[in-house]
Amino acid sequence: MDITILGQQLLGYIPLGDIVLYLAPLNLFMFASTLAFTTIIAISKTETQVEAGFGTLKDREVKVDKSEFKIRRFLAIVCGLATAGAMITGDLFNFTLFVCLIGIVNIGIVAAVKQVDVLDAAFQYGLVAMIATLPLFGGAAMILASTGTISLLEIVDLPTTFMMVFGSLLLFIGVAGETGVAPFYATKAEMFRTPGSPFLLIIHLSSLLVIVRVIEILLIINKPF
Amino acid sequence: MSRIGRLWNSLATPKRIPRFYSVILGVLLLVGFIVPLALNDQQLYPRPEPQLQVNQQDPFAPYDRGGVPLKEPGIIKSQYPHFSEKAGMVTSYVSPIGIGVSKTTLYYGTSIYSSPGGLIDEILYYSRGFDTVLESSILMMAFVVASWVALHFTMKRREEE
Repeated sequence: MDITILGQQLLGYIPLGDIVLYLAPLNLFMFASTLAFTTIIAISKTETQVEAGFGTLKDREVKVDKSEFKIRRFLAIVCGLATAGAMITGDLFNFTLFVCLIGIVNIGIVAAVKQVDVLDAAFQYGLVAMIATLPLFGGAAMILASTGTISLLEIVDLPTTFMMVFGSLLLFIGVAGETGVAPFYATKAEMFRTPGSPFLLIIHLSSLLVIVRVIEILLIINKPF
Repeated sequence: MSRIGRLWNSLATPKRIPRFYSVILGVLLLVGFIVPLALNDQQLYPRPEPQLQVNQQDPFAPYDRGGVPLKEPGIIKSQYPHFSEKAGMVTSYVSPIGIGVSKTTLYYGTSIYSSPGGLIDEILYYSRGFDTVLESSILMMAFVVASWVALHFTMKRREEE
């Protein structure tokens, strides 16, 4: 039972029945940084945007009221915890579940705003996130069918078949849809145009870290080196 | 050159993203038809012959895993047997209502199996309690968001105006 990728050393593992978490330097670093950022978010207050008015000297402040602040903080903390879980899990199915949780919480963080443009973008992002659950879980199921296991510690010892490559492609496109990376970025970019900065940043951070983690998982499954 | 600029601009419209994503996904799924199937049936949960339990008139027909709760483990296969020694001890637990229903009909197992959760459990039947926690927390977050939006954007809107 050894898993060495990117020149890492296995520091240990946490057995929870059949779900075995493994501790490697990269995962631990991402886990700790996510938890630290979540703590900063939990104790911080939101920004206030100032909109300049045309023709007058008056500025208009866009504030976040208290109930909106509370629900956003709660959902941002849940998003941070889900990201931390996705960083450290050693199990493919749990990883997809964590990514799905991140997707649904991301919609929730911006669902409370009152700008119509932002809500439209969030609606489109929600559509993509819902479609993306099909390749996400489909890819995990396909890898399970072709290897017989979803524990990464076992998959690393098995030879790669073409069906595993296809399953990991499906998994990657599912994660790309849920996190909204490069070609599908427009919906998320529009979602950021609202006050409430530190809570919105967790949307960004979670997608970046999940992409790093999914690349590590794809390297483990496909073993290109 | 202007054509590629137009392409980038069209990708910047949020409305087009779901369609664009669906097209890419559809192409990838079409590729899936030519992928050779390679099933590994060595590690999966062991199953009896397809119609065996049905022919035996078992009320839990495709779903019966045997075993006695807390005394004898059911037929399951865990990934790490040395980490989950008690695996399968509660596999065959049925609530008293379930026992009552299973005595009246022969199709009780079919009704379990026909729910989507039943199929997922069948595929992923290990000692995996953490999955259940995660799945229900996804559902809970969806309800939190939906109920917050319902409370503040529909019911309380009149008061603010």
